[in-house]
Amino acid sequence: PAPPALLPYVPRVPPAALPGKLTATTFALERPCCVFDRHANASDTVWLAVAFANASAAFRNPPSRADVPPYEQLPTAHSYMTLETAAAAYACSASSPAVLRVGGDTVCGGQGGWDPCNGPLPSPGPYRVKFLVMGCHGPKAETRWSDPILLRRAGSPSTIDPAPVRHGSDVVVIASILASLGAVLAAAVLCATGAEAWGSLCHQDSGTSTFARRSYRTHHIPPALPQPLPPGCRCSPPGLGCFAPRPPGPCPAK
Amino acid sequence: MAKSDDTCILQGPLVFGNVVIGMCGIALTAECIFFVSDPHGLYPLLEATENDDIYAAAWIGIFVGFALFALSILGIVGVIKSNRTLLLVYIILMLITYAFEMASCITAATHRDFLTPNLFLKQMLERYQKSETVNNNDKWMTEGVTKTWDKLMLQNQCCGVHGPSDWQEYMSAFRITHSDADFPWPHNCCVMDAQGSPVNLDGCKLGVPGYYNSNGCYDAISGPMNTHAWGVAWFGFAILCWTFCVLFGTMFYWSRIEY
Repeated sequence: PAPPALLPYVPRVPPAALPGKLTATTFALERPCCVFDRHANASDTVWLAVAFANASAAFRNPPSRADVPPYEQLPTAHSYMTLETAAAAYACSASSPAVLRVGGDTVCGGQGGWDPCNGPLPSPGPYRVKFLVMGCHGPKAETRWSDPILLRRAGSPSTIDPAPVRHGSDVVVIASILASLGAVLAAAVLCATGAEAWGSLCHQDSGTSTFARRSYRTHHIPPALPQPLPPGCRCSPPGLGCFAPRPPGPCPAK
Repeated sequence: MAKSDDTCILQGPLVFGNVVIGMCGIALTAECIFFVSDPHGLYPLLEATENDDIYAAAWIGIFVGFALFALSILGIVGVIKSNRTLLLVYIILMLITYAFEMASCITAATHRDFLTPNLFLKQMLERYQKSETVNNNDKWMTEGVTKTWDKLMLQNQCCGVHGPSDWQEYMSAFRITHSDADFPWPHNCCVMDAQGSPVNLDGCKLGVPGYYNSNGCYDAISGPMNTHAWGVAWFGFAILCWTFCVLFGTMFYWSRIEY
């Protein structure tokens, strides 16, 4: 049988900025439109061959559908084929999503070698892919191998450092101003009460100044009620007390 | 009780100062009750970081505000009656309240700085949908974090702390139970229809614009927390500056009262 025709198309990861185009176990490919129309007829199928980048040179096209390497053989054979699709799906007139997702099927795998399983890729790769048109008698056309596709490797969250870079200036302003205000207040209270205590200690037995400032509690002796003036007392200015008048002296002799 | 002229003049401003302190005390209590009630439901995230001191600062603020209100009434009575004992009690109790409010302000301001994006990222990766929990405390915190993140991502239409790539760049507890092929990021990151299921799950997994939430949730977290921390810290700071002046005036008034 004739060797398969080599198409100049190179499969590639879509250039659009899709965050999910490369994950740890899957990757996306641009859908090849109008590539196989001249070489494939309605009964042919288009497969995707996936191989480790260092094993792509050793990949041999399977002579028939029965020899297609299944997904489960990837660890041993270092390659597999998947995404069996009718060639009509890649025709120019077909309207379908612009990307193909390799590795998106988590349900298949382990069921036996016949079903083409689009299972998640077990390691970050790198991988190379190519499309292969398979007819009834074997491969009819193939594309070029793609560039190596390296999947993501996730880091450990323990490498994340949650510490803040530096304290904001707000903290410094608040803390310093409040601390100084608090210190001034505390000092003022201490000074005021200290001056009071000092003043009362120093001037305890002297002077009238304390009498002006300290509260003067009277003792239990009630203030004396004003007594009626004894007979014979002459009026006197209040506060000076009452004094009995002196008996008139003997009259001077005439 | 004899009063000199300058004490007469001081009475008016001191009463006014105490009225303002009383009103600010009530406002502080109300503001701190609002923050403690956690209207945005972000407290479980802080609880899991074991660094919820901005809530402690708000709790102190509630009691300080109430104390300020009560003490301001005492101060007004003391100033009007020119009673040295009342005013001395007022000054001492105000100093204690001042110290507590200082602690609250400085705590709120300092601990706000610890709430960095990396802190929430690490916590999200280590706790969201964690399946094996060590003890009851761990289980409680994990459930809190998971529920809060689910609610955050749905209500704010966001994904991860910086974006969906957080889930791809780092290993996570989520990744252990959810395969990367089916869940490059949680399904809550997808645009949902009215029934709560993703509009286009394949588009969401690939990251096609319009089917997934591309922005991070950090703004939705830090916005309320900043308001909380700065509200407590700066309002408390303003009250303390005013209280400083009133206290100073009161001390001066107290020393001038004669018997």
